[in-house]
Amino acid sequence: MLGILKRDFLLMLSSKQTIILLIFYIPFLIIVVDSFVPEILYFAIIVFYTYLISTMSFTYDITGKSKYIMSSLPISRREVVLYKYISTFVYFLATVVYVGVYLWIINALNFASVDYFNLKQIINALPVVMILTSIVYPVYFRFEPKIAQIVQIFLFVFFFIAVSNASFTGDKGIMKYLGKLQWGQIMAIALIVYILSLMVSMQVYKNRDI
Amino acid sequence: MEYILEVNNLRKEFKNFILDNISFKLEPGYIMGFIGPNGAGKSTTIKLIMNLLKKDGGEIKIFGKDHIKYEKEVKNRIGFVYDENYYYEDLTINSMKNIVASFYSHWDDDKFYQYIKEFDLNPKAKIKTLSKGMKMKFSLAVALSHNADLIIMDEPTSGLDPVFRREILDILYSVIQDDTKSIFFSTHITTDLEKVADYITFINKGKIVFSQAKDDILENYAIVKGGLDILNENIRKEFIGLRETRVGFEALTDNVNKIRNLFGDKVLMEKASLEDIMVYTVRR
Repeated sequence: MLGILKRDFLLMLSSKQTIILLIFYIPFLIIVVDSFVPEILYFAIIVFYTYLISTMSFTYDITGKSKYIMSSLPISRREVVLYKYISTFVYFLATVVYVGVYLWIINALNFASVDYFNLKQIINALPVVMILTSIVYPVYFRFEPKIAQIVQIFLFVFFFIAVSNASFTGDKGIMKYLGKLQWGQIMAIALIVYILSLMVSMQVYKNRDI
Repeated sequence: MEYILEVNNLRKEFKNFILDNISFKLEPGYIMGFIGPNGAGKSTTIKLIMNLLKKDGGEIKIFGKDHIKYEKEVKNRIGFVYDENYYYEDLTINSMKNIVASFYSHWDDDKFYQYIKEFDLNPKAKIKTLSKGMKMKFSLAVALSHNADLIIMDEPTSGLDPVFRREILDILYSVIQDDTKSIFFSTHITTDLEKVADYITFINKGKIVFSQAKDDILENYAIVKGGLDILNENIRKEFIGLRETRVGFEALTDNVNKIRNLFGDKVLMEKASLEDIMVYTVRR
């Protein structure tokens, strides 16, 4: 587990482009999301940022064949999948800390007035992150990274549009139904979806040629 | 006897290629060379051994254990070197070492830095700045730094200069002085194997041609040279491969005694090199 996390963090910090992306992704989200739905800006930043860094390590396999190295190390395929799913929660916590510090500095410097810690939005973000990664992880474990990246971007755009339109749809359609659910119910659904996704990923990765 | 690597009736099907009925065994304390032309199935076999590809049939045992059921345990005792650099190019040697080391239970940092020094590598250098030879040296240092009992290498010497190739061979030779360790080494540079290998497994078009002790192979095979006047259809069939010119023929045989009895002094027999054996068998 620690080996996988160490690899992910070292890779994130090894490339200048990635560091620039990690630094400027938050201001980008502030500009874009704030213009649509300012009331859930903090929630959106937590979700999008965790989603980005959770899937980042997969993208290194697009250009290189590093998957051969990782798959030759003493770690079973089952563990690779399991640790990936567990690491989402580590990234979630890391995001809360990083985003908190980042937004606190932005507030302190008077660049913008943004929540830097909002417990309600944090607990609302968790099931959303779990559902998004539940969809994208099995795709990465089953298909070539290029195909998976297209699905990842499509899902990002879909969710972004959904979030942007949520406030405009009011009590219509699915929003009306979702609005009636308690957090506990949504979390239970997310947990079931996440576990099902984990099982699917384990099965497809077990039988896949690398 | 417990073999360090045992492959039985291994099978893998692709759209345009079938690896079929691959079997060989490697004992502790020996180097096995795995030879064959490009596209013969060498890398596929190695990927199957490393469980990078899923086999369609057969059995692979490493240290006497199933390589999938005991995947983590057996991989902890395997050092691997692949034909290309598959390490993360943006990382430094040190960072990459830190990642890899955390997966092995017997990682030896002192040994790693000893090799890094011996190979004249800068631990702070990014992998993308290394030459092909330096990347191979780094891979080798990683493979040799966790007390592996089996070293699996896929074309480690291709594209390297003779000096470094010899250096690698010397290191491999020193590894097997500890007779509990073995090396499985694929290459198409057969001269490298003539120097260090104890066993040779030859694969062609997805099938094993032979898997024998090197000395037996070099003893049994010979290049036969003679005039065209002794050739006819039946005689041609006695040879594994035949090359005819206007003045005579050259052929490969794996039955020196039979050819000697058939032709006596009419032919000239020379020792066949592994390259001769490979070339004549492939041309067949």
